Amino acid sequence: MRFSGLVENEILKFTRQRRFRVVVLILVALIGLIVFAQARGRERFRSGKDWHVETQERMARIQNWLRDGRMPASSARWARFELDRLRYHLDRDIDPEAVSGPLFARGFANAASYLLLPLLAIVFASDVVSAEFAQGTIKLLLTRPVGRARVLASKLAALALAITLTVVFGGAVAYVFGGIAYGYAGWGAPVLAGFRAAGERLDPAAVRAIPLWQDAILAYGLAWFAALCVGAIALLTSVLLRSTAAAMGTMLAALIAGTILPRLASSWESQRFLFVTALPLPDYYSGSPPPITGLTVGFGAAVLAAWAAAALAAAFAVFVRRDVLA
Amino acid sequence: MESDAASPAAVSTEIVLSAEHLTKRFGRREAVSDVSFDVHAGEVFGFLGPNGAGKTTTIRMLVGLARPDRGVVRIRGLDLAHEFRRAMAHVGCIVEAPDLYRYLTGRENLVHFSRMLPDGAAGRIPELARLVALSERLDDRVATYSLGMRQRLGIAQALLGNPDILILDEPANGLDPAGIREIRELVRHLAAERGIAVFVSSHLLSEVEQTCDRVAIIHRGRTLATGPVRELVDRFASDRVRIVARPARAAAGILASFGEAETEAGDGEGAIDARVPRERLPDALRALAAGGADVFAVERRLASLEEVFLDVTGGETV
Repeated sequence: MRFSGLVENEILKFTRQRRFRVVVLILVALIGLIVFAQARGRERFRSGKDWHVETQERMARIQNWLRDGRMPASSARWARFELDRLRYHLDRDIDPEAVSGPLFARGFANAASYLLLPLLAIVFASDVVSAEFAQGTIKLLLTRPVGRARVLASKLAALALAITLTVVFGGAVAYVFGGIAYGYAGWGAPVLAGFRAAGERLDPAAVRAIPLWQDAILAYGLAWFAALCVGAIALLTSVLLRSTAAAMGTMLAALIAGTILPRLASSWESQRFLFVTALPLPDYYSGSPPPITGLTVGFGAAVLAAWAAAALAAAFAVFVRRDVLA
Repeated sequence: MESDAASPAAVSTEIVLSAEHLTKRFGRREAVSDVSFDVHAGEVFGFLGPNGAGKTTTIRMLVGLARPDRGVVRIRGLDLAHEFRRAMAHVGCIVEAPDLYRYLTGRENLVHFSRMLPDGAAGRIPELARLVALSERLDDRVATYSLGMRQRLGIAQALLGNPDILILDEPANGLDPAGIREIRELVRHLAAERGIAVFVSSHLLSEVEQTCDRVAIIHRGRTLATGPVRELVDRFASDRVRIVARPARAAAGILASFGEAETEAGDGEGAIDARVPRERLPDALRALAAGGADVFAVERRLASLEEVFLDVTGGETV
């Protein structure tokens, strides 16, 4: 009656249901489509000039400005970074303006954190408990000599594992497909990180150059964290509503509201306390201006964590105490 | 276990499951009111009542799916509300229907539930599959099973933990006569050979009568009678007599004044089914003699459980 055995049970149920294969298919098909569409779009805008020559000209221009010494200090920092970046690409024979496989994979973290990853987390989490009610198997599950909290904890562990695998798998597929289209090299390319929003402007003080792979790990980590929190909230709806369709519908509605709300009513600052507004953590980290004042990475992560913790507490309290009469 | 089975008399008084004053309310409606009974080791205990009488609600309280508003469930003396895990280690059950994971195979289902039991339960899978005659189909998905096969897989699942008590909710529901007989034989075998206490709910009188040693009758959430099947039949139907007399119709008329009497015979010799309380029977016979009827035979009629049920519920059928 070890806990690992219970988690194994939940994993068995996850993998043997059709939805797991559907999620894998969705990821592969969607990423394939994005790569294809992007690659087609780029071909059209290619200029006739060789990029090696173009890059060398740009580097020369920047070096001239720096030698001038008339540039303000903050701009000089940007210039020096740009110079490093161009040199890195030229040394490795990569077009600095082109998308690389690693860059595409990194960008996917931002794009997927809004909707795709939360959506897949919801698809997994919505039926974790409600399916047992629908199948009637809850009556067997809760009449074994295992405490109810332990049963739910094993489900939570398996859910976290499924979400983690989905994020890793999504990143891997994005890299593989991006690599096919744009080449696999470029994980070491320097990128800027550490943007902080200071009021309406970006505060460049903490900005530093880090290799792309580090940046990607951070972005995926944030996307993963956001997806986990959504999974925890979806688990609560699954416990409360006992119907997969209702649980999924509720969460989808919340998700869609979350993508619309900041655009329609960005002046309503309290919405930064909603978990759906906090979802695109990788965006806030990458330095895009926050849609709502005061919504930083740290704040967003704290909001998500608070929602998830409250949802889990409620899910356990209800699951452990409620009569099973269905 | 072997020595226990060898002395069934010693085992049979041991209480494995007891329900004490169970009460469950849904809103204002009291679905189960003050239900009490004991189930002993090695016996098949029937829980008989019409649909909607509170059988399934009671069973949900017995296995911890629902909390009683009042009352206590004890399994091997352990209070279910406070020692759920230790108590449930003695219980195997099927509640309502043998709902298993249809997208998993029979074996995967058994492995799944064995992981929720102490180590070693998985080792019993081949033996249990043989017991419920599912060895051949164990690696097929449950979705392809017939209802009877699912019921048997459910029983195998319930037996995985070597329970002292097996709780089966309407095991005969939806089965064909052959399937019903299989389950009945299996249940009798488990009680007789393994000393397991089996609690079976049913709305089928004939089923309970053929399978069970003792029975509790539940109606509108209350237990109306509890006891050995034979004893209940005697207690509630001891006034049933069959009298053979001539002229039958006239005799029936005389007997009717002592209770009820029915006959299909005419003025000749015929059988009369009557209900005359035991203490009034001598008077009734004297009245027959005084009325000029010849009595050829008087016999106590053994009532069926159906008649007992009709009596205790006041005429409502199951």
